[in-house]
Amino acid sequence: MNILVPDSWLREYLKTKASSKQIARGLTLCSQSVEKISKVKDDSIYNIEITTNRPDCLSIYGIARELNAILPQHKIKASLKEIPEEKREIPQVKKSLPLKVEIAKQSLCLRFTALIFDRITIKPSPKIVQERLEKAGVRALNNVVDISNYLMLELGQPMHTFDYDKIKEAKMILREAKEREKIVTLDGKTRKLPQGAIIIEDGQGRIIDLCGIMGGANSEVDQNTKRVLLFVQTYDPMKIRQTCQTLAFRTEAAARFEKGVDSGGVILAMKKAITMFEKNCGARVANNLTDTYPFPQKEKKVTLTQKKLNYLVGIEIKLDEVRKILENLGFKTKLENKKIEAIVPHWRYEDINLPEDLIEEIARVYGYYQLPSNLPQGKIPQQTQDPQFEWENQIKHALKNWGLTEVMSYSMVSQTQLEKTEIEPKGCIKISNPLTEDLVYMRPSLIPSLLTIVKENNQEKITIFELANIYPYQGKNELPDEMPMFTGLLTGNKFYQAKGLVEAILITIGISDYQFEPYQLKQTFYGKAFHPARTAEIMVKNDSLGVIGEISPHVLARFGIKGRIAVFDLDFRELVKHASRAKKYSPISKYPAIVEDLTFVVPTQTLVGEMMKEIIKLNKLIIKVELHDYYRNTRTFRITYQSSKKTLTDKEVEKIRKRIIKRVKMKFGANLKK
Amino acid sequence: MDINKIQNLKNQAISSILEAKSDRELEELRIAFLGRKGEITQLLKKIPSLNSSERKEMGQIANDVKRAVEQALADAKKAEAVKKIDIDKEWLDVTAPGKKPPLGHIHLVTETIKEITEIFTKIGFTRVAYPEVEWDWYSFGRLNMPANHPARDEWETLYIDKLKHKKYGRSVLTPHTSSGQVREMEKRKLPIRMLNIAKCYRRQSNVSHAPMFYQFETLVVDKGINVTHLKGTLDYFAQQYFGKDQKTRIRPFHFQFTEPSFEVDVTCTVCGGKGCQVCKGGWLELGGAGMVHPLVLKHGGIDPEKYSGFASGFGVERVLMMRHKIPDIRLLFGGDLRFLNQF
Repeated sequence: MNILVPDSWLREYLKTKASSKQIARGLTLCSQSVEKISKVKDDSIYNIEITTNRPDCLSIYGIARELNAILPQHKIKASLKEIPEEKREIPQVKKSLPLKVEIAKQSLCLRFTALIFDRITIKPSPKIVQERLEKAGVRALNNVVDISNYLMLELGQPMHTFDYDKIKEAKMILREAKEREKIVTLDGKTRKLPQGAIIIEDGQGRIIDLCGIMGGANSEVDQNTKRVLLFVQTYDPMKIRQTCQTLAFRTEAAARFEKGVDSGGVILAMKKAITMFEKNCGARVANNLTDTYPFPQKEKKVTLTQKKLNYLVGIEIKLDEVRKILENLGFKTKLENKKIEAIVPHWRYEDINLPEDLIEEIARVYGYYQLPSNLPQGKIPQQTQDPQFEWENQIKHALKNWGLTEVMSYSMVSQTQLEKTEIEPKGCIKISNPLTEDLVYMRPSLIPSLLTIVKENNQEKITIFELANIYPYQGKNELPDEMPMFTGLLTGNKFYQAKGLVEAILITIGISDYQFEPYQLKQTFYGKAFHPARTAEIMVKNDSLGVIGEISPHVLARFGIKGRIAVFDLDFRELVKHASRAKKYSPISKYPAIVEDLTFVVPTQTLVGEMMKEIIKLNKLIIKVELHDYYRNTRTFRITYQSSKKTLTDKEVEKIRKRIIKRVKMKFGANLKK
Repeated sequence: MDINKIQNLKNQAISSILEAKSDRELEELRIAFLGRKGEITQLLKKIPSLNSSERKEMGQIANDVKRAVEQALADAKKAEAVKKIDIDKEWLDVTAPGKKPPLGHIHLVTETIKEITEIFTKIGFTRVAYPEVEWDWYSFGRLNMPANHPARDEWETLYIDKLKHKKYGRSVLTPHTSSGQVREMEKRKLPIRMLNIAKCYRRQSNVSHAPMFYQFETLVVDKGINVTHLKGTLDYFAQQYFGKDQKTRIRPFHFQFTEPSFEVDVTCTVCGGKGCQVCKGGWLELGGAGMVHPLVLKHGGIDPEKYSGFASGFGVERVLMMRHKIPDIRLLFGGDLRFLNQF
């Protein structure tokens, strides 16, 4: 949360000659970051981001308190000025106006204070109040409402003012809202109250306040108001937060209450309010203070050893200096035996609990910028990196060099994307609060995303790949098995180019004993999303590495993609499992090789891969079988014969050739073309 | 036979060859000396008729002469061939476009992750990756976030439908790589120098936030780890990645799982630290860091009295956007090839 702090207002409580730049620097380096300084007339306004653990800094006085500790560390004199009201008394009245208060549940409101003022004249606030409010980003309204806003900004205590005469029977019941209750808030809006919201009803059962967030219109201070009930409370932060969340509505006051307001600071704010009511409204206190505070803060002590401080900060900070820092921050300290005992001030009560919390206070004010930079010294851990990262780099760079572009798409896909790809959404991990309809399911395949990229790019030639996890559902009590997939896509009639890429990848990572087999399991997602007659499974031994194939024309039609698309979809963990950097040396034969082409006429749908496997198996002297030509029903193989022991004779080759012809005829019904 | 005569014949042949001016002349000379009726051929033919003592000596000399003349002829022919090459006719338009192999592209995020990994592995870190779909336990609970912490808000974190665990609670898309801290500690291997790079998810989308993004998280746990070590590691990274004149600074901040906590800034890459439109007074925010909270160490089974540690978590896209001046993070995940093919 950001606040605006006018420099002139800050200096009402901080005596210093520091320039606004020095103040901003000190705050940024040692406390809360000043994001901007803007000039307004003769004043500077600091825009400060306040971290959630420091609600005590959400005020002018809170910032002054910080600077009181920080500036001296930057060798700039500073001292915090006392608030005169600390010493004033709350008046006792003889004839007190009535106010009946009932609190349904003590935990809703940690502290409840209320005071009535009479003899009010509604008019504009003094000029200085109006100006200050405006500089801090709040619109001035009238002398009464301005007091509550002014003190919220100055002391961090949100407060609320009611028209006393509009509270029926001078009675207030603080309770949780029930189902179906409503309130019209000050901004004129009717709000359905979430169950459990803290509210106040008056003696006639009217809801007059949505506590900590906004008052009710029915008890609003207006031009005719003569008597005012002033409220300074500390509510249960969690309750306020839940209500704001449910209503999706948050005010300046609520933003403070939900972070926790200092219950120890309530009375000072009340006293200062009395002074302002007297001065700005000509008012008079008209009852005796109501203050319900059943569980006041107990003294909290945190002890830190010098050893621990030095150990975690990395340098020695002298105990005298430690003491000075902590006392300037409002801690009471005791030094003993190289130990620091610190009593936590009430405005830091929730935030400071552990020795580490004190270390943070000391180190930040001392100045992180004053600490040296060192690399960690100790032993380097003996851990081995998962080999998948290195293989990933290697394969990605290979694909890049072969002309493919790497894409990264969101892990979430839409229901439509899944359905277009023949994937059943029911079987997928679903997000219960998706950001948009496009990002609902954790994808069980990269293919829907890649097809979407093809469609959206509307280019003729697309060659892309992605390596990313998929999230197959594993049951109600188990996280999905996050499987990395390496998926590539080529547009156009490029099945064999895609297959060649897969083969090249496999060879690059040291896998040579792979097989491509026509894909059998037609009922799986692969069986449906891929073209049933143009898809193969990639096998190494008994492991499936994934599939390669063309996307089914039905799927393409649903995406509105024309032409063919070839995709390889590889299980990256299986690739890594079989990958190897081992290389084997085999001696280069001294004897010449004999190369010849054999052309066969084959029956339809003969698998040429099977033929090649069969041929190479026949004889050790056949060292290579390549497909030289593939035309209609003829297949030409280029066969290389070579021995490592001698020069082969025509007769020896002829004997092997005859075996090839015989075998091919027997197994595939193919005849040698003469 | 006269040795001198033979030598003269050789000299005569070689000098004629050297003077020859064309292939034709050379051919004529070859015929004249080495042809069927050539002088050297004739000479060699006489050798068998010599007596045995002469035959051996003369035979050797004559053969040497033949070889020398043949060599001279071959050299002269080569020289003639070189002369004939007409370099001007070989003209090529060297400005016509080359024939490139197909050019592909690696995604900027991949390049950046690789670079970050190299930077940190040099100082002993090991890269790991932990689940993206994670239990509340690791993403929040064990990181000291109370049940109602704002990070758990429905509009900050994405939750998984119908996936719950009795002990580990709801399942979420992890909003930060810090979920790997306790998982790393649970390996029970000390000391730790972890570099966790993984996809994270948050419920937001604008120029600087995408619903999916990468973070890189360092975690160091050892005896004697203090704030100066965090500062040193941050400086080291900034100088390696952004350049040697870069500085970092840490400012007080708040995270539930570190104490003290910091926000880390680096010298603005646009203005070099002078202050400009893009930065805050010469500094750009890099991300969060801090000393590991003693309770988090305990949750990971590590004794905070003996060990201490630091952690930092930055956005991969954030550092690469700073370096490459990319205006909108969503460009990285949009799949627009006109963008991706630039890198």
